[in-house]
Amino acid sequence: MMDIIKKNRFLVAVILIYLVLFMTNMEKASLSVGNSFYYIKEMLMIMPVIFLLTALIEAWVPKEMIMEYLGDESGLKGSFISLLLGSVSAGPIYAAFPVCKTLLKKGASISNIVVILSAWAVIKIPMLANEAKFLSPKFMAVRWILTTISIIIMGYIISKLVKREDIPMEEERIEEGRLLIKEKYCIGCGICRELAPKYFKIENQKAIVINKDIEEQWEEKIRKAKEKCPANAIVFSEAKKPGKRFNKELTEIE
Amino acid sequence: MDIFTKSLWIITGIWFIVSMIKDKERTLNSMKMSKKMMGNMLGQIIGILFLIGLILTFIPPHVIKEYLGGSNVFIATIVSALIGSITLIPAFVAFPLVGSIVDMGASIVPAVAFLTTLTMVGFVTFNLEKQEFGKKFAFLRNSLSFLFAILISMVMGVIL
Repeated sequence: MMDIIKKNRFLVAVILIYLVLFMTNMEKASLSVGNSFYYIKEMLMIMPVIFLLTALIEAWVPKEMIMEYLGDESGLKGSFISLLLGSVSAGPIYAAFPVCKTLLKKGASISNIVVILSAWAVIKIPMLANEAKFLSPKFMAVRWILTTISIIIMGYIISKLVKREDIPMEEERIEEGRLLIKEKYCIGCGICRELAPKYFKIENQKAIVINKDIEEQWEEKIRKAKEKCPANAIVFSEAKKPGKRFNKELTEIE
Repeated sequence: MDIFTKSLWIITGIWFIVSMIKDKERTLNSMKMSKKMMGNMLGQIIGILFLIGLILTFIPPHVIKEYLGGSNVFIATIVSALIGSITLIPAFVAFPLVGSIVDMGASIVPAVAFLTTLTMVGFVTFNLEKQEFGKKFAFLRNSLSFLFAILISMVMGVIL
């Protein structure tokens, strides 16, 4: 109970204001409810479709493929691909940090990382729909164009001032066959629990590892959970089995 | 329902049906994730919507016009950009709030500044960003974002 209140502090505060208002000034209170009603109605019309759109983008846009084209030589094309990647990703900006760090390690350029981070924060396709609804399509379109230009310029400026050496690149080394969750990044979506309930559990809105003993038949599921994690919060280092890996490579070549 | 929302519903609806036919499990899994993210925001969404009602009732339009629309626009813009930088509410709930204030007569310049810094500049997430990308990167990205937010809002004020 306390937990629910704590999580919804803001809503509780607004409800309290309304309660006081209803007791002291009935007229103003019902006027406020009436005023809110228009916005609630509008929100109800747009919310389900934004929800659906977010889910569909998550399911069908092949992000791994997009990520291939982000190196130092990628130029303007790289900027546009980064823009696209940021725009189709779901979640708040801090969910982008670990994803971008991984990309940086894989060789993505700094300017592209800036573009992804900024686009991730500002340009969300489903959010554009919301903006057009509550402000106006014209407002949304102009802000979108200006923001896109700014983001690309920003990427260029920062890549001139910040070098790769300025960015901490410590490898996270964990023992083989170990599994852990970067708690700060977990958004508690529950996909990992869905995929491998034997190893993950959601507690206080965060996933935790409940079983450190990784069995072979579950490895595939855990790997899948790691891939699917929208915040890239799962760290999993598989036990080395040379024979098995070799076989896997062979089948891939076939 | 306006034409914009309608067409969005139609496009998304068709995509959803195709998606369900092609791969039902994949679609449902990603809906679950999306539901969780929306669920976390729901309290804030309802709160903001009712707060809008209070604002519309208690803050007379001429006050909004005076502070956010008149000759004080420049100061209002800087202040809005600063508020946007330190607040951590999802943009999703910010749009109806900002929309209602603009409808009451506020200038769009501070509105744009607020919306842009809200998502792009993060005082609260600064430490996390510094840890992952280093002080220089985090500092530059956030301060440049702030400046560009102001710039975008001014240009929009001229265009619209």
